[in-house]
Amino acid sequence: MAMIDTARETHDGTGSGTGDDTDQATDHDGPDTGADGVRLHVQRLSPPDGRPPTATAVLIHGLLTDSLASWYFTVAPDLAAAGLEVVMYDQRGHGRSERPGSGYRLDTFVTDLERLLDRLDITGPVHLVGNCFGGTVAFAYAMRHPERVAGIAVIEAKPATESWLTEISGILRRVATELVVHEAESLAWVSAHRGAHTARLAKSAARLVRTTTIAEDVPASGVVSEEQVRAVRCPVLAVYGADSELAGQERWLESVLPGTRTVVLPGQGHSVLAEAPTRIRELLLSWIHEDETATGAPAVGAAALEADAL
Amino acid sequence: MTSVNQTAPSPAAEAPADAPAVLAEISGMLRTMLDEYGLDDIEITMETRFTEDLELESIDLVTLAGSLEARYGRQVNFAEFVADLELEEIIDLTVGQLVEYVVRCVRAAGER
Repeated sequence: MAMIDTARETHDGTGSGTGDDTDQATDHDGPDTGADGVRLHVQRLSPPDGRPPTATAVLIHGLLTDSLASWYFTVAPDLAAAGLEVVMYDQRGHGRSERPGSGYRLDTFVTDLERLLDRLDITGPVHLVGNCFGGTVAFAYAMRHPERVAGIAVIEAKPATESWLTEISGILRRVATELVVHEAESLAWVSAHRGAHTARLAKSAARLVRTTTIAEDVPASGVVSEEQVRAVRCPVLAVYGADSELAGQERWLESVLPGTRTVVLPGQGHSVLAEAPTRIRELLLSWIHEDETATGAPAVGAAALEADAL
Repeated sequence: MTSVNQTAPSPAAEAPADAPAVLAEISGMLRTMLDEYGLDDIEITMETRFTEDLELESIDLVTLAGSLEARYGRQVNFAEFVADLELEEIIDLTVGQLVEYVVRCVRAAGER
């Protein structure tokens, strides 16, 4: 990612990482800023051979054990190869982005996305792709800025309704107890049963919960009514694993947003993105391409591409 | 990954691309990362596994991809490399596999 001036100021001011970072950040990655000037780590992939992108997809990861790596190592390269400008970022507190002590209500995550797209000068309507909590951010962003969203694809996610809040609050309470109060035992169990990498992710999640107010902030998020969800006008694709706790969600979404395309993948659970990336990639690509064909959408990423080439 | 900045110079011309040199480069990049985690005395060889031995997580590999591109230029395309791998294979990746990939890329670019 080309560093834009506003971001460079922030970058210099915070002195993150090592001396090497400064050099490598000049081209394709580096921090940008979200709400409250929090530094956000961004990665972009463009179509090969300098082809102008046909559309822009912004990929938003989930809560706690997630980062942009979940996209980078699954669907992102293929989306870029298929002609899309792909923007990935680590949400606050996650991955290589800054981890402020507080400020983790849903609204703040949505403002991060808003600021990020502003800073990257991505003004045309984008396709938002969200996994789990990232999908909730996508829905909330589309309600805040309908004119800036071409479509939403969510995986294992729902809008920030009252029931979403109840469920995520329960999960955070459980995580806070398991990972923080009983951290050593929990990590030993995860390591033994789920492998070293999941244990490593759990360790990062424990640190996030221990050192920030995320477990209190997310449950304090504002919720939306069914009426507000009905106001979403852009195309929506919603994918669920048949064995996930969210199974059944697709019927509610279909009733509230009749145009929604829902897909339930048999034999899959909540981590369907990691488990069935090929299937998810096919679904995303056909959905985005169909939308382009239907609307004759211009190459919305072209302006951003040119800005970067400067 | 394909970047859009067409005018960036390719640093590959002067980067030595034999396996020991690339291993030394990658080890250096990894040490910088591990220092941040307070792990600085781990020996890094061709057999070292990123996750199991170095306790790196997937986001660290994304960072490493950036360092590799900065050092060797765009022909070292980590995103393309991992696109052909399953998530499990990426987690089990060894330093040696990455070294061999970088050597292949740089040589292929030199022959063009």
